[in-house]
Amino acid sequence: MSLLRAVIAPPLPGPGAKRAFNGQASAAVRGGAFVFVSGLTSVDPATGEAIRGTTARETQRVLENLKLILEAAGSSLARVVKVNVLVHSMLEAPNMNEIYARFFPEPPPARTVCGARLPHGAKVMIECTALAPDDQP
Amino acid sequence: MREVITAPLPGLDLRRHYGHFQSPAIRAGGLIFCSGMIPVDPHTGERLHGTLTSEAHVIFGNLKLLLEAAGSSLDRLVQVHALIYDSIEYDVLNRVYRQYVANGPPARTVWSAQIEAGFKVQLDVIAAA
Repeated sequence: MSLLRAVIAPPLPGPGAKRAFNGQASAAVRGGAFVFVSGLTSVDPATGEAIRGTTARETQRVLENLKLILEAAGSSLARVVKVNVLVHSMLEAPNMNEIYARFFPEPPPARTVCGARLPHGAKVMIECTALAPDDQP
Repeated sequence: MREVITAPLPGLDLRRHYGHFQSPAIRAGGLIFCSGMIPVDPHTGERLHGTLTSEAHVIFGNLKLLLEAAGSSLDRLVQVHALIYDSIEYDVLNRVYRQYVANGPPARTVWSAQIEAGFKVQLDVIAAA
């Protein structure tokens, strides 16, 4: 038996354009029962231009883009099972957490947050695993 | 189906104690995804800072409780991300790690990262349900 594997095309060119410029990664890939989303940094979804701001602003933009990508895959923020958040400093984790809590419905997914050095001066990077839509037998 | 695994003991509810907007673990698609585990007292939620060795023992104890509450166990780990504050402690981590993850160990990645509250280790795991 082979499980479905499908690249999810981003709904807007931004995340995809940035990735094509940056390297070889799809924004999201469906594998079996799950959708795996690449680590997203804050970009304009229409152009792929980086949008730098406070940790809170970047978190807001990343999660808006994540929502678009998940919905393009037939999934949603409510179907996310696990999130990994990388922030440029753990001192900023509360600023991220405050915005984050506005996006995910109850009960929230499992999550790990850690501090890491991120590419191109990004302050936040978020990757996640979500349940794919129930369209497969 | 996406099912929340609630904290088997009150100290393991990091949302309640520290406001982290997260569930302790989620069961979905035959797997259990655990939130990042930190060394807290499982009864009170008090942070138990110590050496990497002592912190890792506390974390594995808590992870065992959480996985068993979810109907899984340390023997059913599939993937482990072990974050440590400094990669110089890699061998120290391994000495504790092998006491808990003995046979047919799970896939694992170890890297150094900044961990909340100045902890020395954090485990982020996926287990078979």
